[in-house]
Amino acid sequence: MQVFTSVLVLSIVFTVFVVTDIKGYKQRKIDSITSLAQLVGTNNISTLQFQDTDAATEILDELHNMSPEIVYASILDKNGNIFATYSRFNDSLHPRPVFGEKRFEFSGEHLFINNPIISNNEVIGKVLLEVELSELKQIRQSKYELSAILLLVALAFSFLIAFGIQSYISKRLLRLVNTMKRVIKTGELDKLELDNGKDEISTLNMVFNKLMLQIKESQERKDEFIGIASHELKTPLTTVKGYIDLLTLMEHAQPQKLYVQKAQDNLKKLENLIKDLLDVSKIQSGQLELNITEFDIDGLLDETIAALQMVTPSHDIIRKGIRGNHLIRADRQRLEQVLINLLSNAVKYSPGEKEVLVYCELTEKELIINIRDFGNGVPAEEQTNIFERFYRAKELSVYVSGFGLGLYICRDIINRHNGRIGVESGGKGSVFYFSLPLNAGLVNKK
Amino acid sequence: MGLKRLWFALMLCCFAVIVHAQPGEQEANLKAAFIYNFTKYIDWNQHDNANTFIIGVIGASPVIASLKEIAETNTVESKKIEIRVFDNPDQIEFCNILFIPETTPYPLSSILEKTNKGMLTISEEPEFARKGTAFNFVIKNGKLKFEANLKALGQADVKAGSQLLKLAIIVN
Repeated sequence: MQVFTSVLVLSIVFTVFVVTDIKGYKQRKIDSITSLAQLVGTNNISTLQFQDTDAATEILDELHNMSPEIVYASILDKNGNIFATYSRFNDSLHPRPVFGEKRFEFSGEHLFINNPIISNNEVIGKVLLEVELSELKQIRQSKYELSAILLLVALAFSFLIAFGIQSYISKRLLRLVNTMKRVIKTGELDKLELDNGKDEISTLNMVFNKLMLQIKESQERKDEFIGIASHELKTPLTTVKGYIDLLTLMEHAQPQKLYVQKAQDNLKKLENLIKDLLDVSKIQSGQLELNITEFDIDGLLDETIAALQMVTPSHDIIRKGIRGNHLIRADRQRLEQVLINLLSNAVKYSPGEKEVLVYCELTEKELIINIRDFGNGVPAEEQTNIFERFYRAKELSVYVSGFGLGLYICRDIINRHNGRIGVESGGKGSVFYFSLPLNAGLVNKK
Repeated sequence: MGLKRLWFALMLCCFAVIVHAQPGEQEANLKAAFIYNFTKYIDWNQHDNANTFIIGVIGASPVIASLKEIAETNTVESKKIEIRVFDNPDQIEFCNILFIPETTPYPLSSILEKTNKGMLTISEEPEFARKGTAFNFVIKNGKLKFEANLKALGQADVKAGSQLLKLAIIVN
């Protein structure tokens, strides 16, 4: 758009320039030849008065050397009859325009000048001069060429500048867009746009930074709250748990024993929920730390499966794939947390089914654990969302308890181990997997 | 029969006269015009301080009528033109231009000795320029031209412009 405008403007300017120039040339030519006609006329006053055509012709003949551009000249007496003529190329047959009062006329490549000869305020004759303007053609051509070249140069410059400006602006805008994308993806609000400029884009950057700070603060406050809340909740909970544990030891008769058992179970649930909240708070404030030890993966798997199997009689948790002989370096407690989470999810979300399968795979680069269930699966559009905080599956055919924090915590733990976690779901059931890399010296053969 | 013949001859004569008169009249007009135009190129050197411009003619000539016609509507340096005819050289008074017609019976020398400074002499007889008149009309190739005698001009103490002299046939 810019380029078009500037090209248009330049074209107009150049056209005006060239036209004015040519007009100027023409006018100068008219003036100079008219002066010449004046001179010739003055010199011929006497020849006209004394009717000396020979002398007049002699004067005109001088034009041959004096003014090579004049191809024809003639003197007319006051009746309009030809008094004397001069012709450069002996072609008196050349058609010439008829003059009235007009002093000049451009016809073809020739300029005709018609100037009266005046003596004592009386017109006693006329001078006619015909000039060849081959120069004009040349000038026109060279001017047009020059204009065209300048126009092209200007066009090129215009493009360059427009391009430069645009990419300067675009670059800065795109940088901001990239930052925004990054914030969306990672949730990190710390990497802000630095910009000390004064223009509108700088303003945009600064306001964006402010906005991010606001969001960050709000999130921090929220996390702070979670931390405080869960901590506050834990204290009375521990007290209650203590007393219930005592009661368990004390009550042996029914139904008191049953009541106490039920109370204990629910306290456990409450405890887990609060623990999750606390974990999330720690993760958000960057306080979650891994306690790395070396241990046998098989042992962990077997233990965890056995422990969970005990409390989920509805399903069979079966271990498949390769076995054993791998030591890994990881946080055992946290991995256990992940396994328990994934396994209990598998059971929870396949209520009518009978099996949950656990695979262990080993590639060159990673150790992969798959947990397969045969429930309803996870729809494609939710597969990334389920790992977010407080996200619970939309379609709940069965009541599922929890805050929706489990997978979020698992993801964080696995990420901290430099591993990957994800889900594959194709309609009948899902496979939740996580991997641990080998190159960090994490896995050694026993 | 005789009368008819006579009448025819008369007609012929008249015709001849008329035919002969036409070019003569044209020539007279042209010469008068030339004489008038001469004045535009002559510098009279202070000799022309009279109220009128006087053109004198010694003898009769068809040019006189033409000159009178010109004098009616034209001026020389804003001065009215007066035409004076002298019958003989003794009558010659001061005039700015003295025209000596070809028909004059008097010898040139007798006329010239009556001329003074400021008097431009113009004649129309072959050889007269050489003999002492300032300008002399001649016919060359059917065209009216004029000779100029620079010495005579000098003696009359008048100057002729170069534009004029350029067109003249310089004699002496």
